[in-house]
Amino acid sequence: MACLGLYLAFSVPGAWFPGGSTQTIGARALAFARGGGVMDGDALAVTSVDAGGLAVIRAQTDLRSAEYPVVAWSGFGFAETADVRLLWQTDYAPNKLNSVRVPVVAGRLAPVTMTKNPDWVGRITGVALAVRGPLPEPVHVVGVSIKPGGAMGTLGDRFAEWLSFEHWSGTSINTITGGAEVQELPLPTLLVVAIAIALAAWFGLAWRSRRLAAFPAVLALLFVTAWLLLDAQWSANLFRQLRETRAQYAGKDWRERHLAAEDAPLFAFIEKVRAKLPATPVRIFVVADAPYFRGRGAYHLYPHNVLFDPFRNSLPNPATLHAGDYVLVYQRRGLQYNAEEKKLKLDQGSPIPAEAVLVEPGAALLKVL
Amino acid sequence: MDAIAVILAGVVPCWLGVACVLALRGKTAGAGDGDGAWIIGAGYLAGAFLLAVWMRVLSLAGIKFNVWIVALPLVAIALVLTVWVMRRTALASEARTAFAPPASLSDWARVAWWLLIAWLALRFAMLAFEVSLRPLYPWDAWTQWATKARVWYELGYLAPFGRVDAWLAANGAMYFDASPEYPPTMPLLQVWSCLVLGRWDDTLMNWPWWFMGVALIFVMYGGLRSLGASALAALVGAFLVASMPLANAHVALAGYADLPMAAYYTAAAFALLRWVRERRREDVVATLVFAAACTQVKNPGWFWAATLVPAFVVARWPRYGMRIAFAGFALALIALVALARFKLRLFNYELNLAYTPAWGDLAESYFLLGNWHILWYGAIALAIIGWRSLLAPALAPLTTIVAGGLLFLFMVFGFTTASYYISDQTTVNRATLHLAPLIVAFMIMTWQAFAVRWAATHAGVPSDQVADSTAT
Repeated sequence: MACLGLYLAFSVPGAWFPGGSTQTIGARALAFARGGGVMDGDALAVTSVDAGGLAVIRAQTDLRSAEYPVVAWSGFGFAETADVRLLWQTDYAPNKLNSVRVPVVAGRLAPVTMTKNPDWVGRITGVALAVRGPLPEPVHVVGVSIKPGGAMGTLGDRFAEWLSFEHWSGTSINTITGGAEVQELPLPTLLVVAIAIALAAWFGLAWRSRRLAAFPAVLALLFVTAWLLLDAQWSANLFRQLRETRAQYAGKDWRERHLAAEDAPLFAFIEKVRAKLPATPVRIFVVADAPYFRGRGAYHLYPHNVLFDPFRNSLPNPATLHAGDYVLVYQRRGLQYNAEEKKLKLDQGSPIPAEAVLVEPGAALLKVL
Repeated sequence: MDAIAVILAGVVPCWLGVACVLALRGKTAGAGDGDGAWIIGAGYLAGAFLLAVWMRVLSLAGIKFNVWIVALPLVAIALVLTVWVMRRTALASEARTAFAPPASLSDWARVAWWLLIAWLALRFAMLAFEVSLRPLYPWDAWTQWATKARVWYELGYLAPFGRVDAWLAANGAMYFDASPEYPPTMPLLQVWSCLVLGRWDDTLMNWPWWFMGVALIFVMYGGLRSLGASALAALVGAFLVASMPLANAHVALAGYADLPMAAYYTAAAFALLRWVRERRREDVVATLVFAAACTQVKNPGWFWAATLVPAFVVARWPRYGMRIAFAGFALALIALVALARFKLRLFNYELNLAYTPAWGDLAESYFLLGNWHILWYGAIALAIIGWRSLLAPALAPLTTIVAGGLLFLFMVFGFTTASYYISDQTTVNRATLHLAPLIVAFMIMTWQAFAVRWAATHAGVPSDQVADSTAT
């Protein structure tokens, strides 16, 4: 508690007990002022910038700056080096467009505290997010929350970060965040500081009463208690994940599980491919723009004798293809197939004779003749 | 039926390994502290490794895999060894002693003991559900590990894997995946699971990771007890390992070889430390088997196994061992720096002199993110407050192993192209996972040594008397 008190004393922006409540504006209420994009689920995917290299997403507001010192844009897919800025206008200087940099942490946008910004004055009549291009991949903006801060609000934000559900993802095997991806105050650090304060307090008391013998036990007890608190948070996360996993996969055999998994369309296509292939293993060259589809597609094809490039979006050298080999194409640009002439053109060399064994939108299986 | 198959797939290697461990013990070994846990944990790990070796032998002999051909000889060996051990020793009474809850616990310690066991049981139950439901998920699992399992299961033998040039030249006689040179132990355990199941199933074939996780916990408890940790301290050590989020992720999202690597390395280190204390031949054999297993689970296992050598030197020649070990570390550093001039490549990592560790990202991984809870804070704090005991004869071998492991990580992430993997938070945590259980062991033993020393200073209790009481 003392730790949290100290943290609040140094971190609460503005008044400790403000009157306003958080104003949240979702992606559907946002509009493009520059650049363009589309809705992708609950997020606005920013896909292009204007001629000046900018994409700007704006939201109308009408709130008193003094009551709302924290602006938290929610978004993901940002490069660590991305130039992202919060823009705003006020009724105090309506013709002036103000801006401040928005930090990017782990691909997400960190909240910005405005209490010390001299341009955050009067009534805020509009806020916007400016993203400087180029954008090799779309970035996603989920919305913006303008917060009154305050002790309870700050505490609420921290607890929300610690207790945020962390789904299994492709990065989970490498890193467990322990709650939200962006955390202003990591819980492990807070607990270690709490241990240090508690230990110092105990030591002071025990020193005066000359009862220091229990120091190793107290140290161990505090350490294990802090560990248990962290593990309780992790257990709750595991339990929530288990419920999701159960809803997704329970009661299914292994094939049905794959049809319920993230790569279901790929798996379904490969199932059709396998039905067209001979029973004995054949050589198959797997090509796709995305490394995920190359590797995952190849995995589903074993024990056929697959070749894929795990690291680069390359195409096989035509000279290495023999009659009887197969080429599996999945969402790969740049290949040309002439069905009438039965010719496959890779990006280098002359076309090679091939016939289409299976064709679906964005995917095909071709046999080299 | 699937549940029975999964259990059988775990029981066969466990029985084989336990029988081997028991057979190696001397007639009068008796049941020491934590021996039951050690025998089961080390038994499963040894049995799983022997099973994989046996499948490699079958493949070399040109015998195609099926469940009976793989299992029957191993079950027969396990049965013969079990009968032999039962005739030689009073196994039933030893087992009763080995698995009895510790009698010396106070009331509050007994409550804590059972609460921790309940917590552990709940954790592994949750992980069991996840392993039973989720198809093969993480990236490397389906680009370089289970690729081999699928091919070998379907073909019934270890078809060779090679790089692109070799694949193209082989004209269909060789397979390709992202890391064809990786060792076959874990894919073979997946093949074994599928053989018992009677079909390819890339969900249930991952149960060996759950078994490895449980075996690691048993090894932790048994190993710590055999080093003299109190029952509660040893259980806390096992609990700390079992509850590390990254270790849990490697069970739930099974398919990488890092958790098995951690289990075998931990078992090898504990076997060596048991030998240091007791000088029993079964611990020598266990050390060698588990060190060999390290090299056959993942390529860095060669280096991890090498980090055990300085500990052996320190224990074998206590008078000069530490100096020899330090000289060895220095020589290793000089050799690496010299080799770095030639841009030598080892296991796909290029040595170089461009010292570019990303300390900020490393600190984030170890201290701010949720990977390790507060493991590294605790390890550093205990190394500081317990520094006077670190090089004492009882702790020196363990300290040497941990120091060697940290030095290895430092070299890999400081002086090779792997330094990039700190910045993107990928390999750095997985490589650290190999050493993490021994960091916990180091914490427990250092804390206990510190507690003994502290009690002697502040309670007027002779240190040898305190040592006796904390060891029960």
